[in-house]
Amino acid sequence: MTCEDFQLRLTAYSLGELDQDMLQAARDHVAGCDDCASRALLDRQLTALLRASAVPAPAETRAAVLTAVRAEARATTAAPARGRARRRHWVALAAALLAAAAVVAAALLVVPAPDPGSPLAAAWSSYHARGKDGLGTPSPKEAERLFAVLGPDSRPPDLAGYGLRQDGWEGRDLAGHVAAVAEYRDHEGGRLTLMRWRGELPAVARAPAGSGLKAYRWGRHTSYWWRADGVVWCMVGTIDQDQLYEIAEHLGGESSGAELG
Amino acid sequence: MDLEGFEAATVPHMNALYDAAVRLAGDHATAQDLTQETYLRALRSFDTFRPGSNSRAWLLRIQYNLFCTQYRRGRRMPVMWLDEGEADPSLDLPSHEPGPEEQIVRELDREAVRRAIARLPEDFRMAVTLVDIHGLSCAEAATVMGVPRGTILSRLHRARRRLEAILMPELGRVQADDL
Repeated sequence: MTCEDFQLRLTAYSLGELDQDMLQAARDHVAGCDDCASRALLDRQLTALLRASAVPAPAETRAAVLTAVRAEARATTAAPARGRARRRHWVALAAALLAAAAVVAAALLVVPAPDPGSPLAAAWSSYHARGKDGLGTPSPKEAERLFAVLGPDSRPPDLAGYGLRQDGWEGRDLAGHVAAVAEYRDHEGGRLTLMRWRGELPAVARAPAGSGLKAYRWGRHTSYWWRADGVVWCMVGTIDQDQLYEIAEHLGGESSGAELG
Repeated sequence: MDLEGFEAATVPHMNALYDAAVRLAGDHATAQDLTQETYLRALRSFDTFRPGSNSRAWLLRIQYNLFCTQYRRGRRMPVMWLDEGEADPSLDLPSHEPGPEEQIVRELDREAVRRAIARLPEDFRMAVTLVDIHGLSCAEAATVMGVPRGTILSRLHRARRRLEAILMPELGRVQADDL
């Protein structure tokens, strides 16, 4: 084996990926060539350096993943049990269907809150509570407080380009979080509510296909969520749902860009 | 649903999954999402997992597919490619001289290495992450990335030569007990 041959196979040699014959040839070459022996040592040092750069999962990530996995496991083990019960008797089947229908109906009318004390539930209550009336504008002191907590994200973005006029904004308390809430209307009276507060994204939200945005189903509505610079953004409304997604993707992209810098 | 079996097979690899996610996605929030979604997908398809096979490689394959299909769009990662001999002032590698706080210096080493890896093209970065950092064989990395084993070796070889050039000052400081 020449030095050139060895150096072409240096990575495979260091990783133990050479076949037996080639490995023996490489070992024989290194034993008699100081230059290639130095290169091999340097390559092992590089591996050690790379391996030491691994980033461990933070405790909050581990907790979030385990919580989501256990919730998913509970949900999937509950479903077959209901199925077996339905098969036992047609009356039970009818009762189960009625119960399921009631659950669906309730889901459309009531908050499907995973945790009553969570910002997710509070955001939904907040959205639901102000169905028809627009909001005012915050006092200068209130606006200053919101700015102090949320920075420039406290100001509602201009969505006129999407045919939405602003219908006021204000500060609210969402499960202990200071939130800036803005309302918009389209020309047909469709409503969009945008809420922002400093905190964590709800673990139940899932990313829809093709996007880093997260989505959480609220009855007939889909809410979109993302987080930038520690500020959670939540958007939900009765405007066209494709347009809602488009706006969320636009705003999410802008704020993600700011975070990634 | 064998939750206990699932956790036993997968939780020990969460550090590797998160690390690979950070290197793919470039920020903590997205990396956490990607890790979580990977675990949920793995849970849903755990009945297809063959006991005794490499669960780390299985999880990393799910994660890489998920990243390619759902997370890559709109991602902003520094994927600058340094030409041979071109200096990059932003790298700002730590100096050779040992400081009084060895731990801090070592952390700076790690940070310099992370930044150097982040500057590799995505395919090279992933090959380095899978094989060099997380110990997959080239055959396993090839399965994860859906390319031939020879392609992985070629990417690793080129990536390592680039990293070697960037990190040369660090290499001399690697201690014998690191090897």
